[in-house]
Amino acid sequence: MTAALRLLVFGPVRAQVGADRLEVACPDSASQEELWSRLLELHPGLESFRSTVRLARDGEFLPPDALLHPGEEIALIPPVSGG
Amino acid sequence: MIVDIALQTGPLFLAEAKPSLGAGAVVRFEGRVRGEEKGAAIEALDYEAYEPMARQQMEKIARELGALHPCLAVRVRHRVGRVPVDEAAILVEIAAKHRAEAFAFLAEFMDRLKQDVPIWKAAPKP
Repeated sequence: MTAALRLLVFGPVRAQVGADRLEVACPDSASQEELWSRLLELHPGLESFRSTVRLARDGEFLPPDALLHPGEEIALIPPVSGG
Repeated sequence: MIVDIALQTGPLFLAEAKPSLGAGAVVRFEGRVRGEEKGAAIEALDYEAYEPMARQQMEKIARELGALHPCLAVRVRHRVGRVPVDEAAILVEIAAKHRAEAFAFLAEFMDRLKQDVPIWKAAPKP
């Protein structure tokens, strides 16, 4: 079964996709690799961000092996530059 | 330790801290916008934040550093939106019994903010 993950995008990623939110269909317990595969099908221009963007859920960065579930809100965090 | 963190638009300021915390050292840092970015002259920078996570991460960093460098209070204000050259994008004030832990806290806080707090700056589009 597939359902949508809600993605929040910021900074240069938002500029690339031209929106601040995206929805991507993903199977339950999807790996981050699966998310990226589906995301890049929709937005090939994000390929250059793949190695530097970290994923976050509920305000915390996700470890690389964390699985993703439909209905969740996942933030794509490109390298930060505050301060 | 008192932790008081906010993101806001408009010029940053911190009111005088009250009541007295018994601090022997108060260290204030102001991070300002310089007149150039990536080699190009600029008049301002636009700051964008994922605000709930930015506050959460700053709070977490402050709590972790408080365990390493016990301080009495930390106050942080980070600006979002357009920040003109020479104005502050961030203000941090650390109060501690002695200066050593306040300086250490401040330096590590800024290093970690620049790694893990979801705030981005960009030169305004002409």
